[in-house]
Amino acid sequence: MTVSQVQSGSSSVRNSAFQQLVAERVRFTVVMTITFLVLYFLLPLLAGYNKPLMAQKVLGNVTFGYLMAFAEFVMGWILAALYVRKARTFDRLALEAQR
Amino acid sequence: MTFLLAAVIVAITLGITFWASRRNTSTSDFYVAGGKISAGQNGIAIAGDYMSAASFLGITGLIALNGFDGFMYSVGWFIAYLTVLFIVAEPLRNLGKYTLADMLVYRLRDPRVRMYAALSTIVVSTFYMIAQVVGAGTLISLLSGGVLKPSVAIPLVGVLMIIYVVVGGMLATTWVQIVKATLLMFATVVMSVLILNRFGWSFSNLLGAAEAKNGAEFLGAGLKYKNPVDLISLGLALVLGTAGLPHILVRFYTVPTAQDARKSVVWAMVLIGAFYVMTALMGNAANVLVGKEAIATANAAGNMAAPLLAQALFGGAGTVGGEFGLAFVTAVAFATILAVVAGLTIAASTSFTHDIFNGVMRGGKASEGEQFRVARLATVAVGIVAIVLGLLAQTQNVAFLVALAFAIAASANVPVILFTLFWRKFNATGAIWGIVGGILTCLTLIAISPNIMGIDPPEKTTGRRPIQAQAIFPLENPGIVSIPAGFAFAVIGTLIGASRRREDEDQLFEEMQFRAYTGAGMDGTVAAHD
Repeated sequence: MTVSQVQSGSSSVRNSAFQQLVAERVRFTVVMTITFLVLYFLLPLLAGYNKPLMAQKVLGNVTFGYLMAFAEFVMGWILAALYVRKARTFDRLALEAQR
Repeated sequence: MTFLLAAVIVAITLGITFWASRRNTSTSDFYVAGGKISAGQNGIAIAGDYMSAASFLGITGLIALNGFDGFMYSVGWFIAYLTVLFIVAEPLRNLGKYTLADMLVYRLRDPRVRMYAALSTIVVSTFYMIAQVVGAGTLISLLSGGVLKPSVAIPLVGVLMIIYVVVGGMLATTWVQIVKATLLMFATVVMSVLILNRFGWSFSNLLGAAEAKNGAEFLGAGLKYKNPVDLISLGLALVLGTAGLPHILVRFYTVPTAQDARKSVVWAMVLIGAFYVMTALMGNAANVLVGKEAIATANAAGNMAAPLLAQALFGGAGTVGGEFGLAFVTAVAFATILAVVAGLTIAASTSFTHDIFNGVMRGGKASEGEQFRVARLATVAVGIVAIVLGLLAQTQNVAFLVALAFAIAASANVPVILFTLFWRKFNATGAIWGIVGGILTCLTLIAISPNIMGIDPPEKTTGRRPIQAQAIFPLENPGIVSIPAGFAFAVIGTLIGASRRREDEDQLFEEMQFRAYTGAGMDGTVAAHD
């Protein structure tokens, strides 16, 4: 059995940059995932249980449902952009952790 | 004209294949294009893998026939990429080499896990592929105006796909996907501009016209989905399942680093999102300009909505422009089918060769040449199986197989991926329980669901359900039950396996975590054995 030893081995655990990386990443991922799951499932929930709201016209003939669905796309892009920005910090910490 | 354009597309893709074949000299080239695809290219290819005939033709048709409900359906397909971006793309790239199993085995160090992960990959790919191949048969028959019967179209697709993959490997598969995605985006953008031009550059005007034709309920929810729980169950399977689909996961190994994997998902999200937003225009416009009746007469599921819309936008039936529009969109749809089937095939044959043949049967000691040969043979075998199963199932209604593939990916693969990454006490027994439990729960629930069980009216002669009895499980998509079940099985397995705890488990978890987050030692080889 060859357990390829990662250079820093178990000392990496005590590495503060690495600990910060894990903590920040886990927190960020959990918050973002819960956010998008809640916002996404609002759509089928409202479509199932509040049809009058979904059919309500808001902008000209554009209904609340269509606006909300479009907003889901915008939300997706915004969350992705936030992640890309945050990921710069992760990349920096990852480099530091390997020193 | 359709045949001419389709022939041109096939010629281009074959050209790419032979160009790629000269660079296709090692197993790494074959499986993942040597990991040398750029982030932008990979993003387009991921978008291409996802924008299958089902979304291009299917969603446009769903909206044309059912209004808002059809569009709502496409939101889940897009949102799914957030799961991929936040959770799986980068760790997967950092931990593995070719397959999902690599990532799990890197931490769990148990060849049995490799075996079961490979089985799950092959099961998911096969279900997805049967749906695509049968769909391809019907679509090509439809698109060719009945000239190519499904019994001809299915082998045709199968043979072309085998050529792409065997000759050109992942490099050809990726470039075929890029060409097709570009053509598809181009067609969609041109059609959207023409639609907006017709309706005074206003989506509101388009919806107004659709309302005038169909009544107010066309703009609201409820025309298609009567049972909200079914819709939520489907949403769960989509949002989690995408992160467990083998042909999407394998794409993250085709780029050099985790940063590139991240960028590819972002590129894919831009393209997929823009594409789905435009389906709202195309679907409603097809309804207004072509008409529900004409669309439903051409194909009851609405698959002809997009081609017929192109015909109407470019001048209508009988005009040169109209026929060209129809031919172009039809040819693009054909290219879509070929490219997606090729992607599925390479995911399945890579998993077979790398995980089962080399990893399990040869203990990681098979030579390059041997693996290369087996990978090509496996591709031919997968292709033949797909053709045979496709021909056998050609008269069945197999659309549910895609939902089933997503449900299995979400219930069997995703819990195991998450626990491997985040749960210190997780172990190999838990992984095996999770994968097997997830698959079996999905298969059982599908078998007793309205997809298989139900009482068809006697006048229905084709596509009758195999079991003519009241369905036991009420939902079409098992996700809402099978996903929690997959997690539960993984936890139970972990508890059972805890007594046989390896003394180095904590260290393996920490090693995995370090590498998953930092990419340290990424170009070192992941031991396929041990």
